[in-house]
Amino acid sequence: MSQATTGAAAPQVTPYRAAGRRHLSDRQILLLFILPTMILLICMNLIPLIYSLFLSFTEYSVISGTPPAWVGLDNYTQILTSADFWANFATTGRFAILSVVLETAVGFGLALLLRYKFRGSGIITTLILVPMMLSPIVVATFWKLIFNPSYGIFNYLIGFTNPNTAPEWLGRSDLAMWAIVIVDTWMWSPFVMLLCLAGLSAIPDYLYEAASIDRASAWFQFRRITLPQVMPLLLIAVLFRTIEAFKQFDLVMGLTGGGLGTETVSVRLYRLAFQGQFDTGMSSALAYIILVVIIAISNLLIRALNRVREG
Amino acid sequence: MATITLDNVEKKFGEAYAVKPLNMTINSGEFVVLLGPSGCGKTTTLRMISGLEAVTAGSIRFDDRDVTWLHPSQRDIAFVFQFFALYSHMTARQNIAFPLQAAGLSKTEVTRRVDDVAALLRIRHLLDTRPGSLSGGDQQRVALARALVRQPAAFLMDEPLGALDAEFRETMRAEIKRLHIQQNATTVYVTHDQIEAMAMGDKIVIMSRAEVQQAGTPAEVYYDPSNLFVARFIGSPGMNLIEGAYSSGTMLLPGGNTYTVPDAWRKALEMSLPDSGKVILGFRPEAVVVSPEGALNSVVYADDLHGGYSMLHLELPDSSIVHARVGREFSFPIGAPLQFDVDPQMVRFFNPVTEKAIRLNGGEA
Repeated sequence: MSQATTGAAAPQVTPYRAAGRRHLSDRQILLLFILPTMILLICMNLIPLIYSLFLSFTEYSVISGTPPAWVGLDNYTQILTSADFWANFATTGRFAILSVVLETAVGFGLALLLRYKFRGSGIITTLILVPMMLSPIVVATFWKLIFNPSYGIFNYLIGFTNPNTAPEWLGRSDLAMWAIVIVDTWMWSPFVMLLCLAGLSAIPDYLYEAASIDRASAWFQFRRITLPQVMPLLLIAVLFRTIEAFKQFDLVMGLTGGGLGTETVSVRLYRLAFQGQFDTGMSSALAYIILVVIIAISNLLIRALNRVREG
Repeated sequence: MATITLDNVEKKFGEAYAVKPLNMTINSGEFVVLLGPSGCGKTTTLRMISGLEAVTAGSIRFDDRDVTWLHPSQRDIAFVFQFFALYSHMTARQNIAFPLQAAGLSKTEVTRRVDDVAALLRIRHLLDTRPGSLSGGDQQRVALARALVRQPAAFLMDEPLGALDAEFRETMRAEIKRLHIQQNATTVYVTHDQIEAMAMGDKIVIMSRAEVQQAGTPAEVYYDPSNLFVARFIGSPGMNLIEGAYSSGTMLLPGGNTYTVPDAWRKALEMSLPDSGKVILGFRPEAVVVSPEGALNSVVYADDLHGGYSMLHLELPDSSIVHARVGREFSFPIGAPLQFDVDPQMVRFFNPVTEKAIRLNGGEA
């Protein structure tokens, strides 16, 4: 890149004016391009990361005015031995599994339906992608109205026409989690669909021709050709959705505010860090635990992905 | 092994013919090559036989079985694709086993048959490799193994060597021919390479513009092309064709050469020619006999040494070019005048209006 840039620019610059600049070596130009990003990354990401790691070993609140007091592993022990926090993790895990499974099924199904072009398939694909482009808070606000037992359309659509007997999705602890899963699925299935469509369109027709000549049934073709060929992209979709699901915050806050058994770790983290006592030390420790969990899950999925790719 | 019969089979895309109504019989155990330039309908014909493409009219029979409207899977055929169509996520063994597993054969039976066919094609050492890390030739061997493993009623091959480089092509050509002889399988083979067709086919069907131009043995289509297209298309270079005017035993060629028509042909020409006497003289490059007493005058235009022989490019008085194949010991300076004759056994004549060959009995091909 840098060579091409200098090569293209050099002939246009007269020797006199270039005198000051022409001593820039490729390496210096390289650094000029990279340094601003590096500095930003270090200031905005790396330093806070290390600082919060330090804070996670202290007793500290940003609003208290007292300096951090070193407590060692106390914060971690407290979190990991508290049933409360484990409940948050269980909620997050349940949400992640439910939503990722549903999104994968719906997204892959939609991709199979939209795989072959038909009249209007382009516009339908675009329309299906719309939810993904909305802000989660906007989505949550709208769905709150959709779920409303008195005038929301959701209950009406699934057959409960009497507002007095219709289920209150956001008011019952057995349904609130499902409500969030439904909204998340509505919003993010298109993402899975998009990646699956890309995978499906990359499968050459002649593989199916060969398979039909080899007398493979439709199911056998799906299992032995379609699925393995789409698997790498499907796993990437699952990887992204799993990581996102573990960070789930905005939809929960928008729909239930974290009540009724929907308090995910991110919501708990937010409350711990920015509400009440502003327990910065404890919340830093929790943030680190979430980070480690996400890295671990990602690694498992990436390993699976590499296995699929290399066989 | 089955006899394949095509009865008035045609394929139309809208109003345009991809294949005009076509009749053809491929006998059991025969190796038939569909040959023609790209877009001539040969691949469409093959795909109709396979069932990958539906016919718009006509019927296809395998022996006495009407398969016209059967799904490819019900026709009991194997198809070898130009770009191999191997399943990239499976090893060679899994690829070859695929049709057997799809048919629900037992594990031991699958293993036994895959090992057998791998031994036949000498690819046993490659069985655990994925197609991606195999050479083109080896990929096509695996594809052939996948076709052979099922012992189908017929093999259909769509330019199977087209994606290989020249060196592999020679080797694979011999291998496919040897396999055919060993298995005695009915084979339909599509190619645009006439050398391949000549080398492999028991019968060659030459197609152009959606219809069959000629069907015959390699020798027939080479020595007795039924029309100008075949005369030009077969051979490299193709047949020399010179238009002239016939009258009472001689042919006046452009530029002043006079060619004496062999006695055997005179009656045929007189019977079939239009009044103008216009006729096209055709002869293969190897029919040229260079001799000082030759009746035809020319000038050496170029002289290419092809190793075993030389190809002379001779310029006739009207500046058209005739190709002559001569022994490599002959060498001619460029620009030198040269006389030649044509071997009377190897002369052919064509009607310039119908473009068809004139037969010795006076009829047209």
